[in-house]
Formats: sequence, structure tokens, C-alpha cells
Amino acid sequence: MIRYALRYLNLMVLTLLVLSVVSFALAYWFPGDPLTNLSGIQEATPQTERFLAEKYATEHNLFVQYWHYMQLVFSGDWGVSFSSGLPLYDEITLALPATLELCAYAFLLSLIVGIPLGFIAGLKHYTGTDYTVLSLSVFSYSIPAFWLALILILIFCLQLGWLPLSGRINLLFDVPHQTGFIVIDILLSDIQNKSAALNDAFRHLVLPTISIALINTAITVRLARRSIIDVMSKGYIIAARSRGLTNNQILWKHGVRNTLLPILPLIAAQITTLITNAMVIETIFSWPGIGNWLIQAIYQRDYPAIRAGMLAVSSFVVILTVSIELITRLLDPTRDKNERGTI
Amino acid sequence: MARFNLYDEEFFPSPWQHTWRTFKQSHIAMTGLILLIFFSLTAVIGPFLAPYDPVEQNTNSLLVPPAWFDSGTIAHLFGTDAVGRDMLSRVIYGCQVTFGISILLVIIAMIVGVSLGAVAGMTKGVRSSILNHLLDSLMAIPTLLIAIVIVAMLGTGLVNSMWAITLALIPQFVHGTRDFVRDEMKKEYVLAARLDGAGKSFLFFQSILPNMIELLVVQATFALSTALLDITALGFLGLGAQPPLPELGVMLSAGLEVAYIAPWNLAIPGICIFLMVLAVNLVGDGLRSAVRKRMSS
Repeated sequence: MIRYALRYLNLMVLTLLVLSVVSFALAYWFPGDPLTNLSGIQEATPQTERFLAEKYATEHNLFVQYWHYMQLVFSGDWGVSFSSGLPLYDEITLALPATLELCAYAFLLSLIVGIPLGFIAGLKHYTGTDYTVLSLSVFSYSIPAFWLALILILIFCLQLGWLPLSGRINLLFDVPHQTGFIVIDILLSDIQNKSAALNDAFRHLVLPTISIALINTAITVRLARRSIIDVMSKGYIIAARSRGLTNNQILWKHGVRNTLLPILPLIAAQITTLITNAMVIETIFSWPGIGNWLIQAIYQRDYPAIRAGMLAVSSFVVILTVSIELITRLLDPTRDKNERGTI
Repeated sequence: MARFNLYDEEFFPSPWQHTWRTFKQSHIAMTGLILLIFFSLTAVIGPFLAPYDPVEQNTNSLLVPPAWFDSGTIAHLFGTDAVGRDMLSRVIYGCQVTFGISILLVIIAMIVGVSLGAVAGMTKGVRSSILNHLLDSLMAIPTLLIAIVIVAMLGTGLVNSMWAITLALIPQFVHGTRDFVRDEMKKEYVLAARLDGAGKSFLFFQSILPNMIELLVVQATFALSTALLDITALGFLGLGAQPPLPELGVMLSAGLEVAYIAPWNLAIPGICIFLMVLAVNLVGDGLRSAVRKRMSS
């Protein structure tokens, strides 16, 4: 087990190293002066320029520069944004949790809806129920997520006026920033009208969550269906049946566990799809998350922001996927490394 | 046509014929195929049939509704947009741009991915494991992020966003090829060829590749649906194709500005993207289940 953990740790460190080198190189690859792209300070006076050159060690060779850059990254000094002039570290730690919150709810929703539906379809495979669920899932993962979001806005915000159009929470509520997750922040805070604030936050969450979750739900349904069809035709299920177990007993004792184990890593791998979709959807709903922030950064040619945002998001995604792989590997040591489930 | 059978001859369909026969039995998959052929034809010959120039602005007919509305005219079947461009012509050209480029990207990604995957699958040791694992974890980085970085380096534009999408499509081909090649290398027909003295490239092209074509076609259809969604998403965000170009995602973002008074500007390009992706997914699904049935029979 320690060997596995070490191997994955090794992989993670190696990938993060590559990412950090790329993010350092971006300062040179982006248009403009590398020092400006690293520090984010435009139109510096000669005095500050000297100070910055010393800070980023621009007189030395690239290795020394990279070493200084990494020291600054780890100490939380990521430079400042061109457009707002605020430290990037603070901006990113505000924006990233907002995206994660959205992704977390969408992921939960896709599991809660997707797995039972997939089980139902798989247990009754090649019947009317199965075909209905399957066609629905093909339909829903063919819909472009951003178009769905626009249609939902047209119907529920503009025509019916049931749900708010944009943002995270009504500006009337002043929720102090603690964890970055709006719902948890509201619960932790001591503002008046807590329930009204919660209600408002949930109403803001409904449409973005649905638009992001739809594709993942469809994929989860198909993964669960395929997996349970395979499991239910296995020898040990027939053996259990011949021992006289009822269908329910078989399903709960043998079916569910063996079905979920092989698809767990695949479902977890969907998190990156989820984050990509969330980043697009955010711009439509003006959700103050990292996707919206990065898109705005590119419109304003805010190179330090893109460099830091890229490093933060990709490091987060890599750490997440490698840890998920490690966990699934530890849960199921029999699984061959190259074995992958199918839809 | 029924085959005339003089002798008690058994008919053995080739693997491709076999797959096609199974594929044909599924009506849903056939519908998808017909839709796909329709879109391919639209992309190839559509521009010759389009009634108007897709970028020609006509100030006399702004925001004309589609022909099935009371105030619509048959001169503009799908209506016009905010600067009087004919929606039907724009959608036809949009199919060409979006669909054509997606196919091109998938082919490029397939060639690069399969060659990398073949190398990764046939080599052993530290080099291959570094290549594989590093690629595995880099694959997790969202497409949009890669696109943002590339656009920041090279500027916005269709070609720059194409680089990003190709880069994002390559890993899945590498994965599929690598796993397949690794499995096949253990089989006896490959061993036989190796005993005959076949070199690595001969082995790959003559023995393994013919067996892999089906897998590649199935993978390519899914890559195609990803490419379609990514191209339109980037166009919509303004990072890909730029406004006068009739690309479906760009049309959607233009339609957004007049969504409330002219919802067809939002609906028609969206439905078009949806049908395209749906057709590709249906064909991919049908193919995959046909291949699976053939393998298990």
C-alpha cells in the first residue's frame, strides 16, 4: 500500500513540476515584458523596477529565476492583477471555492439521479424502461450545456420570473467570507434572516447546477447501466440465485457493491468535465467563480491573472484526480491498472 | 436482394459486413446515420444551395421572424438576425464551418494520438511509464483552460482555438491505442508474426492496425461530438471564431443580444448544434453496441 501511495505521490509531484515550469514559461511566452507578466505591475518607476528585478532575479539564468518564482508561489505572492491591481492569490482563493461549490452540488445531483436510474435501466435491460432511460440520456448529453443554460434563463427567469438571473446571492444579504462556500458561510455567519438568505442562495443555485449536472447525470446513468448488466450475468450471481436468495437480496448483497466498484474511478474522472462545463456556465450566469474570472482576464489581456489562474486550476485538478485514483486503487486492489470500464 | 443459393453454402459475412448488419437493425442508430449524412451533405454542397450570402447585411429586413410565423416571409425561411442576414444561409455555412473543422480536428488528433499510443504501447520500461503517467495526469486539465492559455499567447481566432481543441482530443486516442496495442502484443498472431521476423512498424501496420480500425472509428465519433461542443463553446465565449464568420457558437452569442425580441436567433443555431451532436452520438452508440454484439457472439 505504501508503495502505491509513493508511486502516486511521485507522479503527482512530477506533474506539478511540469505545470509550474509551464506557468513560469508563460511569462515569457505571453506578449509583453516577462517581468511585467510575472509581477503584474505595469508602468513601474525605475526604483520599483530595480526592486522587482531583484525579487524575480531577472539578472540570473533561468534556473535561478524559476527557483525564485517557486519560492514566491509557495509564499503566496503570485503577483497582482493588471485589471484590478489586487493580489492574485486573494482573488483566486475567493473565486475557486465558488466554482467548487457549484461543481460539488452538480456532482451530488448527478449521483443521486444518475445511479438509481442506471440501476433501473440495467436491471430491466432491453425493455421499454431501459430504452426510455437510454434515449433520454443520449438526448441530454447531446445538448450543449451553454445553450441549455440560455434556454433555462429564457424560460424560468425572463418568461416566468421564478428564479434569479445571475450572481450568487442577493446583494441585500451581507455574508462574511469564511470558507468560500456560500451555503456554509451563511450557516456559519450570524446575520439576521438566515433562512431567507439560505432560500435566496438556493434559488440562485438551481439553474446553474441543473445546466452543469445534466451531462454528467447522463454519463453516470450509462456507466451504472452497463456495469450492472455485466455484474448480473456473473457466475456468483447465478450461484447466489441457486442458493435461493431473492432478487432483492442478490441486488443489495452482491449487485450494488460489485457494480459501483469498477465505475467509481470513471465517475470520479467526470469531475474534470464538470469543472470545464462549470467554467463556461459561470460566464452565462455571472457566477463569481474561477471560469468567469479567467474569461474576464482574457478579455482584458490580464496575463499575470491567466498565468496564476492556470497554475491554480490545473494543480487543483491534477491533485484531485491523482488522489481519486489512489483512493480507488486502495479500495479495490484487485483491479488491474489498465482495466477501464465502458459506457 | 435475396441470395440465390444453389448449394447448401454457408454465408460468412466479413467483420465489417457483420457489424453493418447488426447496426442496421437498430432504428435509432440508423436515424442518427441519416442525420449525419444529411449534415455532411449540407457541409459539402450546402453553400451552393444557400439562397443568400451569409455575411450580406440587408437593412430592409431586420429581425424577420421565420416563415412559420404570421409575420414571416418565405423569402427568409428561418428569418433574419439583428443586421438582416439570412438565418438559413448562415446556418448552412455554419454547418460547413463547425462540422467541417470538427472532422478535420478529429483526424489530426487521431493521427497524432495513434502514433504516440503505438509507441507508448510497444515500448516498455521507465520511458513508457513516464510518458503514460504524465500524460494521464495532464489529460485531466480542462480544455477551456488550455484554450485560454493558447488564446492568451497567440490571440483570439479560429485557428488558435483549433490548436487547443486538438491538444485536448489527443490524449484519449493515445489511451485507447496504448491499451489496445499492449493487449494485442500478448496474443499469438502477433507472436507468430514476430517469429517470422516482423519488425515493430510492420507489426503495427500489418497486424495490429487492421484489428484496431473499429475501435478507432468508435473513438473518433465520440471525439467528434466533443470537438463540436468545444468549438461552439469557444466560439460562444468569443475565444474561437470571430463574429462575421458564420460559426454556430458565434451565431448563438450574437443571438443572445436579441434573445428576448427574436428568440429564433437563439433557437435555430442551438437546435442545429444539438442535432449534429445527437447524430454523432447515436451513430457512435450504435456502432459500439454492434461491435460489442459481434465480439460476444
